[in-house]
Amino acid sequence: MLIEQIIVFGAISSGVYALLALGFTLIYGVSRVTNLAHGSFYMLGAYMFFVFSSFFDDLFGSGMVSTSILALILAVIFVGIVGILTYRIAIHPIVGDQVAVMVVTVCLALVFQQLILLIFGPTFPPVRWPAGSFLVISTLILGVTVQYSRILAFVVSLGLFSSLFVFITKARIGKAMRAVSQDREVAMLMGINTERLSMLTMALSAMLAALASILITTSTSMSAGAWMWLHPLALSFSIVILGGLGSIKGSLIGGFIVGYAEQTVAIVVPEGGAIVGVVPLAVMVIVLLLRPRGLFGKRVELEE
Amino acid sequence: MVRRYLRRGYSSFAAHVFDIPPRFMVFLFLIVLLLLPMVGLAPYYLSIIIQANVLAIFAVSWDLLVGRTGQISLGHAIFFGIGSYSTALLFKYYGLPVWITIPIALLTGSVAAFLLGFPGLRVKGPYLALVTMAFPLIIGTLLKWSPLIPIFGGEFGIRGLPAFFSFLPDPTPQVNYQRIAEYYLTLFLLFVSSVIIYKIANSKTGIVLVSILDDELASKACGINVTKYKLMAFMISGLFGTLAGCVQTHLLHVANPPMFGLTLSFAPVIITFLGGIGTIYGPIVGSFIYLILDKYLLTDLLPKLCEYFNVTLPDEFVYAKLLIFTLIVIILVIKWPRGVARFATDKLEDLEEARDLDERGPRIWKRYKRKEKN
Repeated sequence: MLIEQIIVFGAISSGVYALLALGFTLIYGVSRVTNLAHGSFYMLGAYMFFVFSSFFDDLFGSGMVSTSILALILAVIFVGIVGILTYRIAIHPIVGDQVAVMVVTVCLALVFQQLILLIFGPTFPPVRWPAGSFLVISTLILGVTVQYSRILAFVVSLGLFSSLFVFITKARIGKAMRAVSQDREVAMLMGINTERLSMLTMALSAMLAALASILITTSTSMSAGAWMWLHPLALSFSIVILGGLGSIKGSLIGGFIVGYAEQTVAIVVPEGGAIVGVVPLAVMVIVLLLRPRGLFGKRVELEE
Repeated sequence: MVRRYLRRGYSSFAAHVFDIPPRFMVFLFLIVLLLLPMVGLAPYYLSIIIQANVLAIFAVSWDLLVGRTGQISLGHAIFFGIGSYSTALLFKYYGLPVWITIPIALLTGSVAAFLLGFPGLRVKGPYLALVTMAFPLIIGTLLKWSPLIPIFGGEFGIRGLPAFFSFLPDPTPQVNYQRIAEYYLTLFLLFVSSVIIYKIANSKTGIVLVSILDDELASKACGINVTKYKLMAFMISGLFGTLAGCVQTHLLHVANPPMFGLTLSFAPVIITFLGGIGTIYGPIVGSFIYLILDKYLLTDLLPKLCEYFNVTLPDEFVYAKLLIFTLIVIILVIKWPRGVARFATDKLEDLEEARDLDERGPRIWKRYKRKEKN
């Protein structure tokens, strides 16, 4: 029973974690920005989903899955725009100075936290799929009761991850991203607009964080909070470092390792729920002691 | 027309001010700090400056590690927390006095720095930054874990630690001798530790550290044992970081999980960036800017001004305070990436060059300068 629980829940959370970490690794690969505000985009995603879904509930009446999905799409797009603006205003002037980027992004995370506190107050608004829809009904997989919303999260995240993988390896913009991550100057010489590409990548990264946030929050805690940015940040950077910064394959495998490790600790260790946040960090430290460049990060570039 | 006069006035003022030799400026600064309690400063303002002193020790130690050696650490709170918790635990379980616990804590801190230095030696750049950021987060969460609460006290930490100067008379409304004594203690510690770190940074060892920052491979090729020097930087930095933690925990009489928090990890980073990274004296300036901005302008002055002008601050101002503060920090970092102190020294050097070109500057310090030239 325990093992089945670990297998099912581990798989579900791992897929979303991989999606969350992919955003972090993409922006590092393309413009060498260690974006410590990645968790804030996660937080903003949950809040925006709450805002749009309650707006649509007022407009069309509650309980419709279609309006919820519309709210999800709008929230993700909104966070993408916020990502572009953030990059343009705050990160662009200091790109290239690693420490300054970290200082500014962590300050941005605090700015977003305080803005949310100013607007919403220290409350925990609900982030959930409409009650009564098929998404909140449970089913049995391997003898474990799982809600459809979790299955949706798993399917969406894996589908999106694989399509993004194809996008980055095959599409024109994806190829440009890889070129920039391998050699920025030569990519510029080849006529790639690196500035625009960086902004696009930032938008993509923020959107991935927002989507992961909505998928995770609707199936686990069901509420947003202004302080919810730290755990996903720790999660994404430990996954990314596990797999090697800038490695896409690494973020998928790192996501699975961390997801399973977290579920194992949460289920097996007594009082494990309180120290779940530590698990990704501990796994990261242990792996780095053995392999200083992460599991797949031989070169610091976007790998296939 | 007016602008020209203003500019001339400013440049003559600047020439007068910047013409003072830096050593004298430091001396003047020290005298002012020494005399501050004499003017009857309220205990609240005194405690702000005490905090600034403690944070300055912390930030100076960070600057040696990052600004001079180039090992980016975003988890310096680990040393702060180790310092505070080891003094607190030693007091709680063995009842040792402050003057014994702090040296033991310093030893613990440098041993911990040695142990943490190993992963630090294996990883580089952003990897190191994120790994070091992870350490205090791990420990800070483990402290709140319920099986460990009987030992470490959980969320509330270890309370009831003795003050440094509990033998002095109790505070009265007029004068608080304990606070003044604490002020002089922190000032002394700041002076001693910054002088030690400054001397290390400008010694032969310091030059080796800067060479590691500039090009690790090249310094390895020159026969420098990079590992040894990196570990040394880690340990020195950890030692002084621990000192800051020990002092802070006895000032606040408590050791709790926020001592390992993200705020404390990033406080030295922000302070050093405000002051000027890699300068050692910059963080001291930066910590005063940081605390004056945070604790005086936004917490004390702004509400008073609003009261004066009959503007009522909404309740949400509590949240807006940190917002304004972080926005100011972002603007400062983007505007002056080299720090405020660096900005001033750049200006100073520029002026000196200009004065060498044409001897228009005032002649107050000329004799001093001539002596130095000879």
